[in-house]
Amino acid sequence: MKTIEEKNEKIRKGEAVVVRADEMPDIYEENPQKAAEEIDVVTTGTFGMMCSSGAFLNFGHSDPPIKMTRVWLNDVEAYTGIAAVDAYIGAAQLSEDKGFEYGGGHVIEDLVAGREVELRAEAYGTDCYPRKKADTNITLNDVNQAMLFNPRNAYQRYNAATNSSDTILKTYMGTLLGNKRNINFAGTGEINPLSNDPEYRTIGFGTRIFLGGARGYITGEGTQHNPKTGFGNVSVKGNLKKMSDEYLKGGTVPGYGTSLFVGIGVPIPILDEDMAKRTAIRNSDIHVKVLDYGVQRRDRPLVKEVTYEELFSGKVEVDGRTIRSSPLSSMKISEKIMDELKGWIEDKKFFLTAPLESLPKDTAVKVMKPRRDVPFVEDVMTKKVITAKSTDSLAKVSEHIINYGIDQVPILDKDGKLEGIVTAWDLTKALATNKKKLEDIMTKSVITSRKGEYIDAVARRLGKHQINSTPVVDGEGVVIGIVTSSDINKVLQMR
Amino acid sequence: MNKYILKFPQDIVENPILSETILETGVLMNILRAKVDYNEGTVVVSIAGDEETQKKVVELLKKKGVDVSRLKKSVVNDEERCISCGACIAVCPAGAISLNQDKEIIIERDRCHRCGVCVEACPRRSLSIQQLE
Repeated sequence: MKTIEEKNEKIRKGEAVVVRADEMPDIYEENPQKAAEEIDVVTTGTFGMMCSSGAFLNFGHSDPPIKMTRVWLNDVEAYTGIAAVDAYIGAAQLSEDKGFEYGGGHVIEDLVAGREVELRAEAYGTDCYPRKKADTNITLNDVNQAMLFNPRNAYQRYNAATNSSDTILKTYMGTLLGNKRNINFAGTGEINPLSNDPEYRTIGFGTRIFLGGARGYITGEGTQHNPKTGFGNVSVKGNLKKMSDEYLKGGTVPGYGTSLFVGIGVPIPILDEDMAKRTAIRNSDIHVKVLDYGVQRRDRPLVKEVTYEELFSGKVEVDGRTIRSSPLSSMKISEKIMDELKGWIEDKKFFLTAPLESLPKDTAVKVMKPRRDVPFVEDVMTKKVITAKSTDSLAKVSEHIINYGIDQVPILDKDGKLEGIVTAWDLTKALATNKKKLEDIMTKSVITSRKGEYIDAVARRLGKHQINSTPVVDGEGVVIGIVTSSDINKVLQMR
Repeated sequence: MNKYILKFPQDIVENPILSETILETGVLMNILRAKVDYNEGTVVVSIAGDEETQKKVVELLKKKGVDVSRLKKSVVNDEERCISCGACIAVCPAGAISLNQDKEIIIERDRCHRCGVCVEACPRRSLSIQQLE
């Protein structure tokens, strides 16, 4: 086995052989022993939106001084409960006036690009820090320290997402068309850092890496690090002042929030044949679960298990249908990161480190325990539903609405399957426009729910479509209940 | 084949102009987008055939009171902002967006329906649909 010191000696002499992670599979396959013997370092790379990113900033003291209690950068609030003029700007924090269009990730990009950022602060005032307000413009040059510190980055791999529901969903996995018409996936597959060292032999606490265009360090495992299931990740730190806005970009996840595209490259030293073999991993070796985000639960149903090779091909077969798939990480910039890191090592500007300590391999992820059980649709729905047939008269449906004190009547076919829904408003409109048939006035594409869904998901659906109720159907489309917003409100108020 | 934006003023919005035009010219049209308001209708169509055939259809539509303009540009990508992440590719219902050999986003403008899903889905806000002058 070779040592890190031997590798660094070769780098110092300009003799180190460095290759990209996507070149290694062919090199290894040709001659494993020779690959282990001749290759010194394999570079990896990833450039995707990584939530759980942010930066610590020290603004310096004003005169008179201020002990900030709240601080905003370009209207994005940063956390200042650390010290008088220290704050942490988180990538996912939204701007107060621009919402999803601008957030902490964009503030970090603006700072790194050298642009001016407006700082606004409030304080309660103390004997030693009397100032109560501050308002100024700052650049990255004006602050003392600016540390990018990301508690959870560079997941080894991640699930892919599709959506079986009948409406478009905007998720943290991007925009998902209804009826499984697209698949989005995260991660860079065979060039991802941790996938090239899944046993964490060379990656650990203190590993020097490429971070945002500068040297950075791995500071340990990341939050929700879950190595047993192949969902390991790392926390990283680096000097923001040295970084480049080419490798740190603010991003909007439509309908979800803001984040930061972070560029990370990790050098993997080839210490022996085992490391050569690990870095020879191909996209076809890495399995990814395609999950159904149409089901709004923590544990989403599996649609299909695929490999990164299939995902990168742009087409995935599911139940005999071809679904388009696309990445959410930039492969172009990830590859550039591998090249850049390779260049640094070849130019003797970057030396390898042995980890001070290995990343843990046995931690598991805990889930949040609610104080009270969240009810399901079947717990709150009305099981005896007042319904009608499409051949019924408008008068009959109107009678139902008055007699039972309800606002809407689902219309069923002869098998009890949902055909449409008619509301009191539809009936009023029918009167105004002189329409006589239920068929002509009912809404045919009905927003429905399932009995096993959490009511929180249904509450969100009602709000999104601005409706007051949703019929509950089984797998065959047969109506088995109805849930109204007041059913849900009663339960939500008890929480 | 080319795409056109047709604007129907209030006074003719209720006439079956598209059907009439198809019957009278025998030229096929595909409706890509349509928005009909209380006072105006806007429809995006692709008209089949060569320039001469398309001209015939356009002339007839104009005669019937429709405001016709050719759609030259569809979705435009600001390459300074775009990082080629791919979030716009699979959501495109027309399959008009893909990555080239250099893993950069390319848009096949002929296939674009101007639906705007990609504009909404873009994390960098680099895509926009060009409005008509």
